[in-house]
Amino acid sequence: MNITVLLSMVPDLVEELEIDASGAALDTQWLRYVISESDDHALEQALLLKDRHGASVSVMALDYGDADQVLFAALARGADEAVKLTGIPEAGLGKRAAAATFKEALGGIRTDLILTGVQAIDDLDAHVAGMLGGMMALPYVGVTRSVEPSGEGKVLVQKEYPGGAAAEIEVTLPAVIGVLSAPQPPRYVPVARIREVMKTRTLDEREAVPATVPAEPAIIRLFKPESAEHAQMLDGSPEELAEQIVKILEDRGLAP
Amino acid sequence: MTPMRELNWNIAEHKLIYAVFLPFLIVFLWGVFVTMRRWLLGRPDPRWDRLWERLVGVVAQAGVQFRILREAYAGVLHATLSWGFFVLLAATCLVLLQEYLGLPTLQGPFYLYFMSLVVDLFGVLALVGTGMALLRRWVLKPKRLVEPRGSDGYSVLLVLIFVILASGFVVEGLRIVATRDPWGAWSPGGWLFAQAFLGMPQEGLERLHRISWWGHAVAAFAFIAYLPFSRAMHILVAPLSIFFRSLEPLGRLPAGGGAGAEGPGASSLRQLTWKHLLDLDACTECGRCQAACPAWLSGAPLSPKGLVLDLRDHLRARLGHSNGGRAMVGDVITREVIWSCFTCGACHEMCPVYIEPVPKIVEMRRFLTSQGDVDATLQDTLTATSRYGNSLGQSPRARARWTQGLDVTIKDIRRERARYLWFVGDYASYDPAARDATRAAARVLHRAGVDFGILYDGESGSGNDARRVGEEGLFEMLVEKNLATMRGCEFDEIMTTDPHTYNTLKNEYPRFGATWPVVHYSEVLDRLVQPDGVRLTRKLSRRVTYHDPCYLGRYNGVFDAPRRVLRALGAELVEMPRNRRSSYCCGAGGGRIWMKEAAGIKERPAESRVREAAALDAVGTLVVACPKEMAMFRDAVKTTGLEDRLVIKDLAELVEEATTLEVSGHA
Ligand code: SF4
Ligand code: SF4
Repeated sequence: MNITVLLSMVPDLVEELEIDASGAALDTQWLRYVISESDDHALEQALLLKDRHGASVSVMALDYGDADQVLFAALARGADEAVKLTGIPEAGLGKRAAAATFKEALGGIRTDLILTGVQAIDDLDAHVAGMLGGMMALPYVGVTRSVEPSGEGKVLVQKEYPGGAAAEIEVTLPAVIGVLSAPQPPRYVPVARIREVMKTRTLDEREAVPATVPAEPAIIRLFKPESAEHAQMLDGSPEELAEQIVKILEDRGLAP
Repeated sequence: MTPMRELNWNIAEHKLIYAVFLPFLIVFLWGVFVTMRRWLLGRPDPRWDRLWERLVGVVAQAGVQFRILREAYAGVLHATLSWGFFVLLAATCLVLLQEYLGLPTLQGPFYLYFMSLVVDLFGVLALVGTGMALLRRWVLKPKRLVEPRGSDGYSVLLVLIFVILASGFVVEGLRIVATRDPWGAWSPGGWLFAQAFLGMPQEGLERLHRISWWGHAVAAFAFIAYLPFSRAMHILVAPLSIFFRSLEPLGRLPAGGGAGAEGPGASSLRQLTWKHLLDLDACTECGRCQAACPAWLSGAPLSPKGLVLDLRDHLRARLGHSNGGRAMVGDVITREVIWSCFTCGACHEMCPVYIEPVPKIVEMRRFLTSQGDVDATLQDTLTATSRYGNSLGQSPRARARWTQGLDVTIKDIRRERARYLWFVGDYASYDPAARDATRAAARVLHRAGVDFGILYDGESGSGNDARRVGEEGLFEMLVEKNLATMRGCEFDEIMTTDPHTYNTLKNEYPRFGATWPVVHYSEVLDRLVQPDGVRLTRKLSRRVTYHDPCYLGRYNGVFDAPRRVLRALGAELVEMPRNRRSSYCCGAGGGRIWMKEAAGIKERPAESRVREAAALDAVGTLVVACPKEMAMFRDAVKTTGLEDRLVIKDLAELVEEATTLEVSGHA
């Protein structure tokens, strides 16, 4: 089985996000990128299939953020091949454009199963995977927690529903799967192996074919949550605190 | 008349003894050969440097037995037994000198004072020691001998030794009576036994003498033949393990097996060194390591003694091809055991024969880590460390955030020269509990006029603990990053408040070309509180106790600087029972702080430690000198309900309490 895993980088929330001068975008100067969590699981799902049933796994990412780092780490974890799509704007692409770019790039590749994270912190409405399925006219299932081969040219996926319900769905390949989580957490790759891979392997760089998509909605204003009122901190001994609380309640007419 | 005794009296056929000895000797040699061949399975490790130092160690520890004698009962019984046995063996060899070289060892004053009196007294001592040992094994049964599993092998040996000693005295007693030896009383042991045979007919005496003479010889030969197959093997191997002991600092982990076909670290015995394998045969099963091990005492599955014994059984089974395909890592030594170690080094400190469990454990961790076989929280930590350069998974840009709101500005050493490069380290930078102490240290140093600067966000974690969990690649990456930044800075010495950081900077960074001296802030404070240093205006007249951080004290020998500082402040220092080299780990070391607590923990090390401190009379302050301890102990006083009884203070906080804002000038 040939599996392709699509990886995206998202802003790393370990850094505080800053809004740039335009007021409509994140300030990329302070942005640090990390692999999107469910993409990480999609990769793990692919590697589990490879470990258990044999498969060839290739990973693909758009060249923005830390794409090199993410792709090398994927090779170190066990992917067979890594493709970097170049010519991408510094801040990445809109979700629809990203899906279209992936579609173009996948056109020339023989692949049975396309795995990618079902959502990302900058794609909470889970656009990329579903749209890609649509654009490629392939079956699509999202929010999966396990993918297993079942007979010739088919996989059995477990899909999660709200409220703890789950369904087993058989999907005919080729197909696109939007992974929520792999059956086990993404494995650890020792730094030495990543460094070794960076020395000995190269990324397959391909120029991304510019995709024409209908105009995406434009962001007019990006802003941080504005708190109307600040919390009031109380200080003092337990007795004093009790008095203050009573007073506040009285002031607001909440206590007689 | 010259005092003497007749050589081989009553044993006309004594030459036969060599024929009798031969089969026993062959068995002995075979046993020694088999044992040594096992060690050759290990990979090479040169241990032939500094021969003199090595020899001195053997004399001190195998001969005089200083470490063994740290304990009263066990020390005395072992010393009397072994010295007694050794003197008796020497005396037997001296008899041969008369027989073959004609040296008069059995006559004159030498015979009377040494061969009779001294040797006999040593024999009596050995008998007493044997009795004490049997009493300990059969009646007292200290925990550390019976857990995790007892070794009955010693009982057989002790009985055999008792038979040898007693039969020796019987032979002597019979000879004294039968020859009416006028100097009999000079052999007090034999003389005592002689009383039992008084009045026996001469013929009976002589027959019994011959029987017991041969009996004594055969028992002794049996001991020799049994030696390499028994616990007594430590008599031969322990001096070797002491001789070939590591002379490197404990804080400098060996490089390890490298990436062979089986990957880095050690997943099988072949990937351990020959010295590691020799250690296994040297172990006396005394359990001293275990009795000091915070992992074992807290209820974790790791006992250093158990680890050594399990590896030894595996080694023996392996060569007997009966190991049933059990893997060293996972089956013989489980993951839980491997990850339980705090790398506190207490076992190294306690072991009378210098066995080194920590490098073995780290080798196995290196293997597990290379396989990605790490627990989830540890994995998160390692990923965070490689991504952000700190183990707390916080923004690298926030590394120097602790300096905000400080009324002093701290030099950016990347731009400005300073005497000290203060390598702050992860915990002191980010951990909320530790940050206050970091700030106190900054204020104290600043007010004292100490010229220092920090690397701000140019600093990454030092990698000490990454190395201890076996993540060698991450460690190297951190070293390279830090050195690249530090090389661009101008300074004379590195200072740090974190003993773990201190350890690796001092002992492990030099391999990568870092040659700067490294000091701990307690040492800098020690320089400051000297008479011409910072002016102390308040006397802290309170009773405090001080916890020696493993990586500062046991690992690097810094015991006195923090104590001198405390005394200079006017504090009355009361020692905990486990202090200095025997200090008890707080439970943060070896990367344990990054892992989930093992199941079945009875009492966390930090809890045991705060209880120990709280038990001291009228001591209300536990002083720490390590940023990790702050969090560990503050937590422990809460969980033990000792909050009202004990406050945890950093050394720098106490110094700050005792100083005014006035600056006395220089450092
Ligand atoms: S280093 Fe400490 S925790 Fe580890 S085995 Fe030795 S005594 Fe136990
Ligand atoms: S390793 Fe050392 S201290 Fe531990 S049981 Fe063996 S000889 Fe004793």
